Amino acid sequence: MHDLATIAFYLGVIAYSASATLFFLDLVRREGAGAAARWAPYLLGVGAAMHAGHVVTASLLSHVCPVESVHFALSLSAWIVTILYLLVRRRLRLHAVGAFVASVALTFLVGAQFVGITRAGPGGQRGLLAAHVTSNVIGMALFLLAGMAGAFYLVQERQLKAKRVSWFTAKLPPLDALDRTEHRLLLAGFPLLTFGIVTGAVFAAHMQQASAGEILRAALAYTTWFVVAGVLILRAVAGWRGRRAAYGTIAGVVCVLIVILLYVIHPAVGAGA
Amino acid sequence: MIVVVGLSHRTAPINVRELIALPRDVVPAVLSEIVAHPDVGEAMLVSTCNRVEVVAAGKHGFDGADLGRVAVQVSQALVQRAPGLEGNLYQRLGGEGVRHLFRVASSLDSLVLGEPQILGQVKGAFETARQAGTVGSALNRAVPRAIRTAKRVRSETAIGMGQVSVPSVSVDLAKQIFGDLKGRTVMLIGSGEMAETVARLLGGGGARILIVGRNKLRVAELTRSVGGEGRQWEDVKATLVEADVVITSTSAPTYVVDHDLVKSVRKQRRGRSLFFIDLAVPRDVDPRVESLANTFLYNIDDFSKVVAGTLSSRQHEAERAERIVLEETQGYQRWREVAQMTPTIVALREHFQRILAAELERSLKGRLKHLGPEEHQALNKMCEAALNKMLHHPTARLRETAAEYGVESRPVEQLVAAIDELFVLEGEHPELHALPDATASAEPAEPDPEVELSGTHAAIGTRGR
Repeated sequence: MHDLATIAFYLGVIAYSASATLFFLDLVRREGAGAAARWAPYLLGVGAAMHAGHVVTASLLSHVCPVESVHFALSLSAWIVTILYLLVRRRLRLHAVGAFVASVALTFLVGAQFVGITRAGPGGQRGLLAAHVTSNVIGMALFLLAGMAGAFYLVQERQLKAKRVSWFTAKLPPLDALDRTEHRLLLAGFPLLTFGIVTGAVFAAHMQQASAGEILRAALAYTTWFVVAGVLILRAVAGWRGRRAAYGTIAGVVCVLIVILLYVIHPAVGAGA
Repeated sequence: MIVVVGLSHRTAPINVRELIALPRDVVPAVLSEIVAHPDVGEAMLVSTCNRVEVVAAGKHGFDGADLGRVAVQVSQALVQRAPGLEGNLYQRLGGEGVRHLFRVASSLDSLVLGEPQILGQVKGAFETARQAGTVGSALNRAVPRAIRTAKRVRSETAIGMGQVSVPSVSVDLAKQIFGDLKGRTVMLIGSGEMAETVARLLGGGGARILIVGRNKLRVAELTRSVGGEGRQWEDVKATLVEADVVITSTSAPTYVVDHDLVKSVRKQRRGRSLFFIDLAVPRDVDPRVESLANTFLYNIDDFSKVVAGTLSSRQHEAERAERIVLEETQGYQRWREVAQMTPTIVALREHFQRILAAELERSLKGRLKHLGPEEHQALNKMCEAALNKMLHHPTARLRETAAEYGVESRPVEQLVAAIDELFVLEGEHPELHALPDATASAEPAEPDPEVELSGTHAAIGTRGR
């Protein structure tokens, strides 16, 4: 079983790396990655399959449910980003975004290895903990993908405003597709983030003493919630779209990334078990 | 080998090209006329507004006829159909013809470098020729390879990237902003050939066209020619709220769409992107509009810069494309050289097969009489496998030498002579010594020694039993 988890991990790393390289070459080279570019999404799919295989086998080995551990939560969020991307790639013409998605999946798969596989949260509330982690993981994945769409929007918008129309602009997804994708992902992720914050508050109430890292993480989670809520409300009320919405989304995603970083650099925090 | 005879925008002015403009339904008849000539065996006709070319081959496939005579007869056929072409037709023979065909299919000889239509036209011409029954071994090899070369050029270079006319750049930009044009609204202010073309192209993509103007008659006229819905000038603000793309092309001396007008509709537009295509000189849209969020403004100068950039980039890519064409032409010629070794290989193989079959038959009638059908089959299979293994190296060596030095080179002659002498093939296979003609009957596959080794002959045992 241990060998199986290791093989799945390495195969996942190889497939994600190859996919990221092909997506990246296709994006930055004038002539693209040629016929090999066709394989990029397939390799991403293979990477995701291996990634899932690794998570399942590693969680069985460690007797830790994937949604009860920060290690698996990080890994799973990137896996969900990948699956979401593969599902909407063709319909929303997001091929170029694959360069980011594959890189993020690779980073999270490898990065999660530096976070210990321990069950997080206070004991005795495993159901709530699973719901808390699941909603946060999915919400985080949705926000990450929204942030990628926002970043691509800013690049494409800048090129078009500056009239730098070239082979590069032709490779980027259409502005409206990026804006729409970003909005839909935020809409889908917001209720999950809200649920995650509420359940997080329940856990916080059970803790006798919170560390500075935990306080910072909670503060950032609230900030993310307010930023995302602001972006959604301003879009609905004042028609904030495009560049403004992209900046707001990216700000929210930066907060999410800092939270993730805090987990990576201080993995013991929050491990109540 | 093939010949190409024809004329194009590079060699003949339009009044000459008009003489041989052929409707599609006439092409099969023309092809039949061409192959009716004594030396012409195959023909395909590529007819576009910029070129009319016949790709032809001799009666016996690759090298069955004098290519010069084939070219003369094709020229005669064309001149017969369109007197006045004399002196305007070019001829490309052999390797030159192959390279020309590959360049044409790859759009390197097109009026607009890198345009994508020519590949479809070459494919269409090939299909028409196939249906007319004028395609044989030579064209069956050369044309698919030309199509493959063109695909390589398109996938490995950026020769087809970007647009080279103002209307197509406008449509591309609209798609870059909005993605799908279906359900989008295009507002056309003013008239002009270019503006109308852009509106038609956007309308063709599924957009709704709203035409706004001061002159009611002109608006009605435009509505008829472009399609869409006419609006009064008083509705300009309301129409601007609905619009996604605004095309302006009026002769007004001042701005028709000013900054304040666009700013005033922003709230009602709820932040939707707005793309202005200003084709007028003097300009119709206030340049300050560009500073507004989600608003994109391109004037005629901006479009011209994009077009110039694309053309220069395509020119740069053409050098890389030429290298691919050269590589493919050389590859094709190498393959031809190798293909011409087929009769020798066939003869060598048949020689061994005959010996093996005879020995096998003798044994099966003698000491091995007691063997049943299953054992017979096993013996046959064993002999065939042994033969394949024995001939693998000599076959590969013959092909390599032919590819490296050419079929008429001294090393190849020496090898063929050695095979003749060592295995006494000369008497058995006189066709060996007339290589070029013989290739027509032993049509080779693309280089794949294994396929050829096992696929050329029936099992040894069928003769032996």
